[in-house]
Amino acid sequence: MKVKGTYKRSDIWLAFWLIIPTLIAIGITAFYPLGQTLYDSFFKWSLRPGFEREFVGFQNYINLFQDPRFLSSLWNTIYFTFFSVLIEFLLGLVTALILNADFKLRGLVRAAVLIPWAIPTAVSSQMWKWMYNDQYGVISLMLYNLGILEEGTPILGTPGMAMTAIIGVDVWKTTPFVALLLLAGLQTIPNELYEAARIDGASIWKQFTSITLPVLRPTIGVTLIFRTLDALRVFDIVYIMTQGAVGTETLAVYNRSLLMDNIFSPRGLFGYGSALSVVIFLIIGIFTIIYMRSLNIKLD
Amino acid sequence: MKKVVVLFAILTMVLSAFSITITIAAGAVGKELEVLYEQVEIFSKENPDITVNVLPMPNSSTDRHDLYVTYLASGTPDPDVLMLDVIWPAEFAPFLVDLTDDYDYFGLDGFFPGTVASNIVDGSLVSVPWFTDAGILYYRKDLLEKYGYDVPETWDELYTAAKDISEKEGIEGFVWQGARYEGLTCDVMEFVHSFGGEIMKEGEVVVDDPEYYDNNVAAITFMDKLIEDGVSPAGVTTYMEEEGRRVFQNGDAVFMRNWPYAWPLVNAPESPVAGKVGITVLPKGPEPDGRNSATLGGWNLGINANSSPAEIEASKKLVKFLVSKEQQVYKAVHAGQTPTLIEAYNDPRTIEANDFYADLLDVFLNAEPRPISPIYAEISYEIQVAVHEVLTQQAEPEEALNNLAENLKAIVE
Repeated sequence: MKVKGTYKRSDIWLAFWLIIPTLIAIGITAFYPLGQTLYDSFFKWSLRPGFEREFVGFQNYINLFQDPRFLSSLWNTIYFTFFSVLIEFLLGLVTALILNADFKLRGLVRAAVLIPWAIPTAVSSQMWKWMYNDQYGVISLMLYNLGILEEGTPILGTPGMAMTAIIGVDVWKTTPFVALLLLAGLQTIPNELYEAARIDGASIWKQFTSITLPVLRPTIGVTLIFRTLDALRVFDIVYIMTQGAVGTETLAVYNRSLLMDNIFSPRGLFGYGSALSVVIFLIIGIFTIIYMRSLNIKLD
Repeated sequence: MKKVVVLFAILTMVLSAFSITITIAAGAVGKELEVLYEQVEIFSKENPDITVNVLPMPNSSTDRHDLYVTYLASGTPDPDVLMLDVIWPAEFAPFLVDLTDDYDYFGLDGFFPGTVASNIVDGSLVSVPWFTDAGILYYRKDLLEKYGYDVPETWDELYTAAKDISEKEGIEGFVWQGARYEGLTCDVMEFVHSFGGEIMKEGEVVVDDPEYYDNNVAAITFMDKLIEDGVSPAGVTTYMEEEGRRVFQNGDAVFMRNWPYAWPLVNAPESPVAGKVGITVLPKGPEPDGRNSATLGGWNLGINANSSPAEIEASKKLVKFLVSKEQQVYKAVHAGQTPTLIEAYNDPRTIEANDFYADLLDVFLNAEPRPISPIYAEISYEIQVAVHEVLTQQAEPEEALNNLAENLKAIVE
């Protein structure tokens, strides 16, 4: 404890008292519900009055991994996360490099790019749902005209296509956010590095791989964590556009159905839903750890 | 003068000591909310000791369900009067006041029997029908006349007319609710019942029962055929009520299955098809088991069991008031919501405002409820998934129905 020499005992106590409200708030809002959910996940029970709570150990978890609806929503979530994050990252990086360059009206362009991200997801999902409409949708019309799609094809009602369409909306919405984060990282790179590289005769590509990428690495790490965690719990886009039909149900959408539609079910699905919540939490936790390890990000 | 003021003050104090405040959860679709405020005002004049707060709810039934779940699970005594979708009473029954002894108080003998039946859970009456709904067929009078077709009485007649007219006119034939959500269950029940099939009966799964299986398969196959043959656009697999109505109201379809709410809208002055639309019962399935069928929709009023006895008494008064003949007529005239009390249809004011009600009285009278079960949400989900897979060409009707039977049996136990 280095602090001993530099702070008075009373100061340390003061700091301790000051931090207590925060700790209590975090305890109440984060740890208590988490613990409660974990506890509930070992029971078969429902909020239906008179339902006898029954301890079932890990049975909910065992059932979960035999539940085809869970397995398909797990797969859908991973599929959605992989493709949306990959595309958003690549597009975001290109956008950030462009926005980092010097050109007229750069400020205006930077602000304009952020618009999709500023629109509430519920609103943009509904907007895109109309654009995908088989009869009046502008996107459908464009695809019909280009001969890519047969006229009258319901984009959100066709297996495979629906998921692609949803990923498209997520990419549209979140690329600006990724670009913004990466842009912030790019701006910390001093220009002298590039000047020195140019003098040494390094090509643009060489400069990118030897200077930009390595310096940007922590930013990339944070960006990927943010996006992956967000994508793994994707809910609103899917729920508004398809309710999870034609192979688009994600874990969060399934979880809503268990915990809201069936909360009073005499079948005792509340514990099962809690188990699913815990699994989602674990999956997100594992991804975070993998990223932090592989990108050497430290929490302090 | 002073005495009068004092007396008045005392009177108000005494009254306020006895006065009670209750809250009613209400929808805001169309003119519903506005009309309810007017009704509450009339009620407050008649019952100065009761103050009624109106709590507007989201339009979507699913969103309302989510809100009720949080209210009821937390045990809060508000709202006192709950507006319930016809499919909810069984699920929410443990949270609702048992109204069995108040059957006569609400005069339920005069109501459509189907609407009352949908509120009875394990022999107890848990809520009271407020307004009803049933699936009906909308058709283009002008187009049927132009091509010499009668109003279809069977699904096959509808199929032929829709296919022929839509090809000649370059529009869609028949639009309905095919997205994977509750509306699909309503439509499926109509097809299945009209073909003489059945999915659940008295709490038992009968999908694969030999008595019903072939008719069930025929019904689902017919739905699939509508899409495959282009009579219904492939897009119906993403349509809810409003998507279909837009297509129909724009003059882009010959037939539409929808609820009565669409009637004033398709006939509004700015509607391109105003005056060209007729309505009738949904067609029958093929002989020998075919019959007309409409799924029962609508909303009921239940009372929160967590409310205090005084609040429950006041709530009963409010419910009785809202379902009285006078108020049902008022609602039918001003909000276009269909009464549940048969007598309300004979009132000249109702007839004048909604002349089509007379033609549909039979439909409302015979509307068939969806399965009544505390796990209705799960049953409906299985039905939606099975049929939607057929409609989106991921499964064959037989395969989907066999899976449905298996899945339903697993959850009903």
